[in-house]
Amino acid sequence: MDFSLSEERKMLQETVGRFFENNYKDIKKRGEYLKMTDGFSREFWKESSNLGVINGLVSPAFGGLGGSGEDICIIFELVGKSLCIEPFLSSGLLSSTILSSLNNPKTDLINQIIEGKLLMSFAHMEMNNRYEDHFIETKAKLEKETWKLNGSKSFVINGDSADKVIISARIEGKVNDKKGIGLFLVDNNNINNRPYNTIDGYRSTEMSFENINGELLCKDNQALKCIIKTNSAGALALSAEAVGIMQVCFDLTLDYLKTRKQFGKSIGAFQSIQHRMVDMMLEIEQVRSAVMLASSTFESNPTIRDKNVSAAKNLVGRVGKLIAEESIQLHGGIAMTWEYSVAHYAKRLIMIDHLMGDADYHRDRFKLLSSI
Amino acid sequence: MNFEYSEKDENFRIEVREWLKATLPHYLKEKVKKYQRLTKEDYELFMNNLSKKGWLAWHWPEEYGGTGWNAIEKHIFEEEIVKASAPRIVPFGVNMLGPVLIEFGSEEQKNYYLPRILNNEDWWAQGYSEPGAGSDLASLKTTAIDKGDHYLVNGQKTWTTLGHHADMIFCLVKTDLNIKPQLGISFLLIDMKSPGVEVKPIITLDGEHEVNEVWFTDVKVPKKNLVGKENEGWTYAKYLLTFERTGIAGVPNSKSALNHLKMVSRKSMKNGKPLIDDPIFSSEVAELEIDLLAMEIFNLRTVSAAAEGKAPGMESSLLKIKGTLVRQKTTELLRKALGPQALPYLPEQFDEGWNEMPIGPEYAGPIAKQYFNMRKISIYGGSNEIQKNIVAKASFGL
Repeated sequence: MDFSLSEERKMLQETVGRFFENNYKDIKKRGEYLKMTDGFSREFWKESSNLGVINGLVSPAFGGLGGSGEDICIIFELVGKSLCIEPFLSSGLLSSTILSSLNNPKTDLINQIIEGKLLMSFAHMEMNNRYEDHFIETKAKLEKETWKLNGSKSFVINGDSADKVIISARIEGKVNDKKGIGLFLVDNNNINNRPYNTIDGYRSTEMSFENINGELLCKDNQALKCIIKTNSAGALALSAEAVGIMQVCFDLTLDYLKTRKQFGKSIGAFQSIQHRMVDMMLEIEQVRSAVMLASSTFESNPTIRDKNVSAAKNLVGRVGKLIAEESIQLHGGIAMTWEYSVAHYAKRLIMIDHLMGDADYHRDRFKLLSSI
Repeated sequence: MNFEYSEKDENFRIEVREWLKATLPHYLKEKVKKYQRLTKEDYELFMNNLSKKGWLAWHWPEEYGGTGWNAIEKHIFEEEIVKASAPRIVPFGVNMLGPVLIEFGSEEQKNYYLPRILNNEDWWAQGYSEPGAGSDLASLKTTAIDKGDHYLVNGQKTWTTLGHHADMIFCLVKTDLNIKPQLGISFLLIDMKSPGVEVKPIITLDGEHEVNEVWFTDVKVPKKNLVGKENEGWTYAKYLLTFERTGIAGVPNSKSALNHLKMVSRKSMKNGKPLIDDPIFSSEVAELEIDLLAMEIFNLRTVSAAAEGKAPGMESSLLKIKGTLVRQKTTELLRKALGPQALPYLPEQFDEGWNEMPIGPEYAGPIAKQYFNMRKISIYGGSNEIQKNIVAKASFGL
């Protein structure tokens, strides 16, 4: 058994880590990026591409340099540490995962993403489909050999700045049938976007469209498999991001406990506080372990892959709440302020549980998959 | 044992309810329901109405213009205000300073300030916490130096709620730096318009401005603004905190939040079915309801003992802890009930007159924001950790 990273991956971790830290020096910098037109820094995104960060999310078979579960986790843990808001998830991971899972992979588009020239988003969620892979109301119909799409998509992260969008739509059947789903490639110019910020600082959009053209990428069983795989990739990435965030929350809290003095001593000198820090440390190690397992089995068969991803994401939801709430409580009032970074880490950590399946969703999915 | 309210109490409840129905404007009720930002005028409108009715000083004895209500009537009044979706009564003047002046103020102070509080003429703020004095309030650093006919005040207060609206602030200041911290503190009334007072906003994690820093640079405060005796402010400060802790369990707020939660979980869908039909989620809601049910009785036991003249002791601390945890749990389950609908955050949605289409259901807008905002309640008013210290120290004999 060997739980350590290979030399190559350690190098990836160091290079990307240094690059993120230099560009996200403090929470004010993030605030500046957030105020930009697209809700993130295009320049930082381009530099990420030049440095090969996006490359790290894509398999060599499609022109990348990484793409394994471990690579994804290394990069997203660092995304979490710096609280990056660039489209690593939407373009870098979700879109490239779909494009590479097709019978005829769209390698040209993947390469444009890697080069930072093309932004894409995966528009799957709808206002009422919660976290389900197959619950889809958006409709697709074939008219004179052209696919026409009708409907709306919700909470599309970085969807407003995307050039192209992949939309999941129902070709036939009832709203929650597992059959009859298709994935379509659409030009974002044809979509009505209503962009907004999420409470944790991301840019998102509500999409609506009427009779727009779509290029069919895949359908039926292949489409559902593709959605499941993509959502699992997203859940794995978010879990790794959460690990990075939790560690920062823990470190900031510990640091504050050492410096903040009340009653003539540092508040960290109180045993009841120390015990709570130990609980946090223990739970973070649990999450880290579950994420390591999920990353190492990400290339296995879908049942094992999804079961372990669900274990990790469920723990992330439960422990994330503990870490976010305890970090704020142990800091006291200062953590309630916009100016202090821990509040922003806590918000992101909590909202990660609202993306790609929450703790309840993944507990239920784990139950199903572990009984197979 | 009898868990029923008396007929007299029930009649009183109806009287309060009817009055609120008749006087609370529809727009204000809607703003409170939608968690929209309240202006200074919104608070004042409600408090002026209460003042005209003679109900603003609901904590005070009758001889000072108060209601003279017993603890059960006070409890009913608090409950009805929340049920009616009225703004909260800004407590700093009427609920905090008032009782201190009645007990420790000079005749001149009582004659001048109490009627002004009763008529809602001054907006008061609380000047207790400092950057270095939170849980350990006695370690405060703001100084007031004796200059003959006035004090010269220098220092900084923080977390001053609605301080940007305030005309006056009551402050704990150090008047003797050479003795044990608790012994050198005085209780001073300071005009916010005095030269050298500066209010700086603190933006909280939900992007809102409710609390402030208040800075004092060579602020002259007349000697007649000292409450009670010099260096005995700690006694008055603690007396005031016992008033801050009445109704601290926030039972009415949690009850209304629980109803809201049930509504949201009936409307939120999970795989095509209402979320409330999900056995695990509905079990969580049920357990929360059980906690709240028990806490309501615990609270009423304390209220009823207080009505018989028994001062609440550690019960206030226990209720503060449980009350904040229950309230926070309601905000957590609300957030969870929304699923991805909790993500969008439209700051302009909380302005009066906002009439765009919400993203998703209208009730979704404030929920994540409220969850984060409510993290404060286990921190302020003596953090839950401090409450535990108080209880352990007072009752275990360890």
